[in-house]
Amino acid sequence: MDFLLISLLIYLLGTLTIVFPKRIELAAHYLGMLCAVLASGMVAYSSLNYLMNPVDGWLLEASWGSYSLQADAWSAAFLLLTGAAGAMTSIYAIDYGKSYKGNRIRLLSGLWNLFLLSIVAVLLSGDAFTFIVAWELMALVSFLLVNHEAGKKKTVSAAYQYMVMTHIGTAAIMVAFFLIGSSSGSFSFGDMANNELSGFMKNVAFICAFLGFALKSGLMPLHIWLPNAHPAAPSHVSALMSGVMLKVALYGFGRFAFQFIGMDIFWHGLIVMLVGLVSAFLGVLYATMEVDMKRILAYSSVENMGIIFAAFGCGMVMYSMNMTVVCVVAFTAALVHAFSHSLMKGLLFMSAGAVMHSVGSKNIELMGGLIKKMPYTALFTLIGSMALSSLPFTSGLVGEWLTLQSFATLAQQAGTPELRLLVIFAFIMLGLTGATALGCFVRLYGTAFLGRARTNIVDKAHEMPVFMLLGMGLEAVLIVAIGLMPDALVNMVQQVFAGIAAVSIGTPLGLIWGGSGRYALYSPGIIFAVFALIALFVFVAVYRSVSFAGKESTGSLVRRDVTWNCGTIPTSRQQYSATGFSKPLRRAFDGILSPRRSLTYLRKEHAYYGRKLKYELEIPDIFNDRLYKPIQQLMINSSSAFHKIQEGSVRLYIGYTMVAMIVVLIWGVLL
Amino acid sequence: MEALMTSIGLNLVQGLVLLIFAPLVAGIINKVKARLQKRRGASVLQEYFDICKWWKKATILTPYTSVIFILAPVVYFMTSLVAATMVPGFLTGQFSVGDAFIFVYILALGRFFMTLSSMDAATSFGGMGGSREIYVSVLVEPAIMLAILINSIRYHSTTLSSMVIDYDGAYFTISAVLACIAFFLVMLAENSRLPVDNPDTHLELTMIHEGMTLEYSGRLLSLIHLGSYLKIIVFLTLFGALYVPINIPLAIKILLGAVIIGVVETLNNKMRLFKVRVYLGAATVFLLLAIIAE
Repeated sequence: MDFLLISLLIYLLGTLTIVFPKRIELAAHYLGMLCAVLASGMVAYSSLNYLMNPVDGWLLEASWGSYSLQADAWSAAFLLLTGAAGAMTSIYAIDYGKSYKGNRIRLLSGLWNLFLLSIVAVLLSGDAFTFIVAWELMALVSFLLVNHEAGKKKTVSAAYQYMVMTHIGTAAIMVAFFLIGSSSGSFSFGDMANNELSGFMKNVAFICAFLGFALKSGLMPLHIWLPNAHPAAPSHVSALMSGVMLKVALYGFGRFAFQFIGMDIFWHGLIVMLVGLVSAFLGVLYATMEVDMKRILAYSSVENMGIIFAAFGCGMVMYSMNMTVVCVVAFTAALVHAFSHSLMKGLLFMSAGAVMHSVGSKNIELMGGLIKKMPYTALFTLIGSMALSSLPFTSGLVGEWLTLQSFATLAQQAGTPELRLLVIFAFIMLGLTGATALGCFVRLYGTAFLGRARTNIVDKAHEMPVFMLLGMGLEAVLIVAIGLMPDALVNMVQQVFAGIAAVSIGTPLGLIWGGSGRYALYSPGIIFAVFALIALFVFVAVYRSVSFAGKESTGSLVRRDVTWNCGTIPTSRQQYSATGFSKPLRRAFDGILSPRRSLTYLRKEHAYYGRKLKYELEIPDIFNDRLYKPIQQLMINSSSAFHKIQEGSVRLYIGYTMVAMIVVLIWGVLL
Repeated sequence: MEALMTSIGLNLVQGLVLLIFAPLVAGIINKVKARLQKRRGASVLQEYFDICKWWKKATILTPYTSVIFILAPVVYFMTSLVAATMVPGFLTGQFSVGDAFIFVYILALGRFFMTLSSMDAATSFGGMGGSREIYVSVLVEPAIMLAILINSIRYHSTTLSSMVIDYDGAYFTISAVLACIAFFLVMLAENSRLPVDNPDTHLELTMIHEGMTLEYSGRLLSLIHLGSYLKIIVFLTLFGALYVPINIPLAIKILLGAVIIGVVETLNNKMRLFKVRVYLGAATVFLLLAIIAE
């Protein structure tokens, strides 16, 4: 308990690096990162301790005047997530941050600590005021961090877009807090649980809370800030924003759903579930169309937050239908997937940073063959990509499996055809999402890391320094560890929902779920053992002909020769490009994507030879075009309508005042 | 614990049995096709000979490839074999280490590595095959998910062995017949058969699976082929055990399934790539109706 307060102080100490003199800026950076690693480690340790040995009472309870801190199991789960991801990204940032030497590095390290501090403060806050203050701090600091490379025009516009969007969200959250707080007469979370809100106002409070938190977690159609803000920010900041900050929104929403609003109303859960499912599929579809590595990852975050909210919504729907025991599996799925997503997306943003650091570009179309230049980064990225494609033996499948199980349970227990149609929709969406995610990460990895270099920027690629590899490696190890032994995490997460119902999913054998009486088992350990057994035989057989090191010493069974290309020597431009790779999908879903193509002949002396073409492809975000542009147009139109009565002449304004006076006088006389 | 070990042992034996018979089933499909085309055709044992032949030949690696290229066939073969140990069929009991979703994701692991390897040889053909494989798999996935959903609703579990048709109840229903047709369509797409993919050609305009394997030779190629034969027999077993609502022995169902695949492949042309969307959409709609009729 004391650990948490001390860690807050250490974060504050780390923030002080901003005011260090410039000549020791590198020392300030190291000190800042040391503080961040230490404090995050302490946060992770104390919350892990609390979750492993569940005791009655709070993890932390303290108050100063009208500000109060308290943390229960739901906060502790997110504190653990923040601490773990924060520590690993800070380790990575020790080396990565150095590239900002001479570019306000003290500010970056100080704000990094402040960002972590604000996230922890949001999770610890025990009343609405503290929550809003910490939430605003988090929004402002992340705005400053996104805007760190303010020299670029794109960065500034992304940062301001983020600022505007996040404040719309904050406003909605404040309305929700106000409604609940005024009905319960107090703004402390404990009292707010006993609010007497009902009927219409309860629905309004729910909608506001969902709007605010969905915006922060990047659910469609409120996601538009996300694919711009993530690429603009420094990579370790993107890792933390995507890995942790988006989950903090889930924390807030969970606080509202469990404690303040309740989950009795069916359509509340239904909306959360549907928005989540649509975000999941559309997010991954857009991710598959992008060529900017960090934009791919940003859209993939939209997808994963969609899956998390879909599972959460499924739990809410189950709860509202009195399936209070089985709903726990859905909430567990949401929380486990949140954990696993924070690890895998943190890892991939870090490796995107490593690639950027190495070749100086984010565009995967310019890369190729990086696996040979940076083997360790390539290995970690492979593990992260496998996890994001939810393949076996990674943490990704654990969350995905629990999500699928919760929807299957909903279908098994719900008799009405309407609910069945709902689950059919969910399964179609989850199926499409899963397969497209696999395609998306095959495309990302295959284009950037495999094959041959497409341009000469790859020539200067090199392996990363030790702390960057350490940060990525730790996340990769955790992903595989959770993937092989999911029971520890799953059992711990279930403690959080012990108040709803006690079920047991994790066993030493693997995960067992039998919501409808007959059990389904996922035992990654045993499957892995079977794999290893087969691998032993196969490798012995194949090893004799193909050496892993790529040497030709092992007998005459291996030859090296150039790729067959209809009799010509292939050039590196003949490889499939990332844009080409996603072409069939673009065509299959062109109704949603509505791609805009243009083809210009720059030079065309001969019909077939020596032509120079310019091909442009743009895939506009459907919500940007069909939702935000009309709103923007409406605002411009309405303000130009107001413009007509604001001529700027003083006489006119005096006239307005007089008319207003007369209206008021008449009003007063008549009433 | 002992029951667990026995069960895992039996699963492994079943995997081996399916592995041994897999080339035979592929041979039967080819024989049926040859006969229907009024050819004598190769012996039903030809696939065994082919695999032995490739096994003895040298592996040619292009200088651009990485570890992934060597790893991919091995992983692909292993995922097919593990899938073969999981299907409910001859020897597997009530206990299984993964359910239907895990079955799907284990096959996805193989697909992940095969499509990656297709981009590793730095050629247009490989990338084309990989890209199309992803396209088809995206369209197949919803149908497979619904196929799992229908049996999981009927038998209240997603464990494959619990999802086997229960012949004591009413099993020949409209919904079962619809699911059977739909799963057959899905099976053809998932195993790269006509009308979605043509397993016989290497022409770049038609190939999907063959495009990805174009750069492979020697032992790696034989592993890929063994893996894909295994995948066919695994899907036939699953089809027979879970979706064919006729009470006859499973082995006969598998043989019949192989013959029907041969007939369907003879009667159909390869479909245009972007028509596959309609084809698999039809399978999805069948399953949707099946679930509503359930």
